[in-house]
Amino acid sequence: MTKKQSRLFFLISTAVFTLVFLGLTLHSHTRFGELTHADKMSAQVVAGKDVWHHNNCINCHTLLGEGAYYAPDLTKITQQRGEAYLSAFLKDPSKFYSEERHRRLMPDPELSDTEIANVIAFLDWVSQIDNQGWPPRPILVSGATFPGTNTTSASTDSEPAEAQRPASVAAGERLFNDASTACSGCHSIAPGVDLAGPSLAGVGERADRTVAEAGYTGEADTGEGYLRESIVAPSAHIVGGERFSANGISFMPTHYGEKLDSDQIDALVDYLSTLK
Amino acid sequence: MRFRSQRVAYWYFAVALCLFGLQLVMGLLMAAKYLGPDPLLGFLPFDVAKAMHTNLLIVWVLAGFMGGTYYVVAEESRTELYSERLAYIQLAAWTLMGATAIVGYMLGWTAGIKMLEQPYPLKLVIVAVMLLFFFNIFMTIRKAGRWTLTEGVLIAGLVLAALLYLPALLPYENYTVETFYRWWTIHLWVEGVWEMIQGSMLAFLLVRLSGADREVMEKWLYVIVGLVFMAGILGTAHHYYWTGVPGYWLPIGGFFSALEPVALVGMAIYAYAAMRRSGAAHPNTLAVHWTIGSAVFTLFGAGLLGLAHTWPSINKWTHGTLITAMHGHAAFYGAYAMIVLAMISYTRPYLTGNDPARGQSLGFWAFWLQIAGMFGMTLSFATAGIGQVYLERVMGLGYLDTQLKIQIHFMMLVATGGLFAVGVVLYIVDFFRFAPSHITAPNDADGSIQPRGAA
Ligand code: HEC
Ligand code: HEC
Ligand code: HEM
Ligand code: HEM
Ligand SMILES: [Fe+2]
Repeated sequence: MTKKQSRLFFLISTAVFTLVFLGLTLHSHTRFGELTHADKMSAQVVAGKDVWHHNNCINCHTLLGEGAYYAPDLTKITQQRGEAYLSAFLKDPSKFYSEERHRRLMPDPELSDTEIANVIAFLDWVSQIDNQGWPPRPILVSGATFPGTNTTSASTDSEPAEAQRPASVAAGERLFNDASTACSGCHSIAPGVDLAGPSLAGVGERADRTVAEAGYTGEADTGEGYLRESIVAPSAHIVGGERFSANGISFMPTHYGEKLDSDQIDALVDYLSTLK
Repeated sequence: MRFRSQRVAYWYFAVALCLFGLQLVMGLLMAAKYLGPDPLLGFLPFDVAKAMHTNLLIVWVLAGFMGGTYYVVAEESRTELYSERLAYIQLAAWTLMGATAIVGYMLGWTAGIKMLEQPYPLKLVIVAVMLLFFFNIFMTIRKAGRWTLTEGVLIAGLVLAALLYLPALLPYENYTVETFYRWWTIHLWVEGVWEMIQGSMLAFLLVRLSGADREVMEKWLYVIVGLVFMAGILGTAHHYYWTGVPGYWLPIGGFFSALEPVALVGMAIYAYAAMRRSGAAHPNTLAVHWTIGSAVFTLFGAGLLGLAHTWPSINKWTHGTLITAMHGHAAFYGAYAMIVLAMISYTRPYLTGNDPARGQSLGFWAFWLQIAGMFGMTLSFATAGIGQVYLERVMGLGYLDTQLKIQIHFMMLVATGGLFAVGVVLYIVDFFRFAPSHITAPNDADGSIQPRGAA
């Protein structure tokens, strides 16, 4: 190869690939609107993006998987946490996490109520971007979906017990731990381990007592009815104080009634009833 | 040095090394924050430390590039610089910009875009400094009326780097579009035009250190840069996979970014072959180590470790984990930190009027400690990252719980990062041992060591 040929190689390959790249970029612009639901990019979403930038959130968190690795990815966070929870969290993260336990804590971002609402709207818009289905499996902030860790009891460890359990209980447990339902992202079944939701240790037993109590505000008459109600209408009766709710609104997401079919809800109730 | 005005390079390198040291303070601080709890939470939280760490990196590496370019241009065009004073003003503006950015981050003044955190007014200062720089360089070449391909590629790389910064000056309403163009700057820098800079600095150094034939070196430089662009431009798509772009970017990104290592293999062979074939025993063996080391470490950090997670079906799981940090460190260090350190090691004897071979043992300690430390850091991030991918991404354990399970790797990071930092401190000490000199003398390019006339 002579120097002239090598120069030609450089010039041609650079020109060709630059042109292809620019062409595809132009084409992408015709698709961005649809893929990102640009029509839903309200003024609030755009204002929320500014909140995101001004507070340097990207240098602790990842969003769409890009950013820093010190804090959890937030791409789908609004699908795992309700708005009520997120606004309470952003008002004071230290009420929900402790540095002793997880060795790191989000500093209070000192946002106004409007800024909080905006940034949540922004995150909600991001969560709906059509991004090839990433992440392939939901990324949880805390909690566990497999046995042998300190946030779940090792209930699936013993084979004989497994065999005797009704199929719906096993299905319920799988659903509870399944990362797309993500109950376990908020609820541990170990006693005393409160995550974003209260520990559900003994909830099967507790449910019967709850409906009998004078302070019960829901509409169920049985323990099982209460468990069902807790899933489809979390705010009907609220437990656990200000860490788990604000102004009578539970921090538990409200979408399970639509997201799960009735068999799935039955299975979850069957499973929760076994937690004694 | 041959031309008096080449001494401006000394001060660019001095600034670069000081900022390099500060960058490591932030790195170690972040590693400690991984271990937690963080007593500095209210004062210097992680996000601020990270913005400082990455921005200091970019500022010092670019200061190194600019200093190196002044040295190279004077020597290749065989002339004094157009204006030494302008070069100092430019350095002052650059340093001030960097310092303002750093202090700004501590006060919460930030654009909040990864690696492009510089607030808008500072972005304009960056553009102004670059314009000043190019003015000085072009006037120098005009004055001399001659230039070589090596210096041409170097300058073209810097000009393109400045042009690719421009998309960062535009506002974007849509976050996906903003992300799309962020990569025009970041990816096309490190996997495109900065590799032109690295390649031409390699060519400059190899011609001098090995006495390799300039014509041959420049011919292959074309080929390497051609390969870089062939794969690197469309390779940008390896950052587009999960950001809300059309699906065709996935196979395109996978295929072309997987080809990127070809150019890096080429670069390593280039360096190795030049040294082998010519076999000149240049007295500055330390500079030889840094030069070859840069080519080889790039192949490892960028080529091998980049390839490791660039295919969509793997990146799906590793995206945005500590695996990215593993690759980012090894690649950035090998390609851009080491090439600047190679330029510094090569030019320092001339800038300070010393015998190139004198007193090198400190320099070698610095070299090997850094190599060992960075290799260990890469392993720490890798083991932590593999744990994270399996526990958090594959098994579904919560993020925070996963981080608790990989604490041991963060301790490894602190230990190996400490080792690395010792190597850097030794390098800095070694650099500042000698005062800058004003004496001009013939050097390699004049044939005192291995004659090859400039083009
Ligand atoms: C200094 C680092 C840091 C910064 C800056 C930061 N975060 Fe966080 N964030 C964390 C950490 C750590 C967690 C994990 C929970 C905890 O330990 O507090 C977290 C958790 C979260 C969660 C999930 C809470 C949950 O339980 O689901 C959201 C939402 C969030 N952050 C939003 C934001 C937003 C919005 C910003 C910018 C305004 C921001 N963060 C800035 C560190 C940070
Ligand atoms: C974002 C966090 C979150 C998620 C996800 C979540 N919960 Fe909850 N859950 C809560 C909070 C907070 C409470 C307490 C406030 C209340 O009573 O609603 C709660 C309460 C409950 C209770 C009542 C507990 C008691 O002691 O009476 C049950 C039962 C329950 N959740 C079941 C579930 C199931 C089943 C799922 C998954 C389908 C789920 N939760 C998902 C946050 C969550
Ligand atoms: C003492 C040595 C160092 C330590 C302990 C260290 C540590 C760290 C840490 C903890 C992060 C943050 C990762 C995150 O977002 O969670 C980081 C980011 C980064 N560091 Fe370092 N670092 C060191 C030296 C270096 C050097 C020498 C370079 C380059 C030459 C470098 C380049 C980077 C880059 C490019 C990032 C951003 C990576 C990304 O976001 O993907 N660091 N470093
Ligand atoms: C000198 C060259 C290189 C440098 C300095 C470098 C540096 C980096 C940095 C700093 C990041 C993190 C960027 C961010 O998230 O903002 C990154 C990401 C990435 N790099 Fe490189 N890189 C180089 C070459 C390569 C090559 C040759 C490949 C592929 C073969 C590659 C593949 C990747 C991939 C796939 C990611 C995305 C990681 C993720 O999904 O989170 N890189 N690189
Ligand atoms: Fe890239």
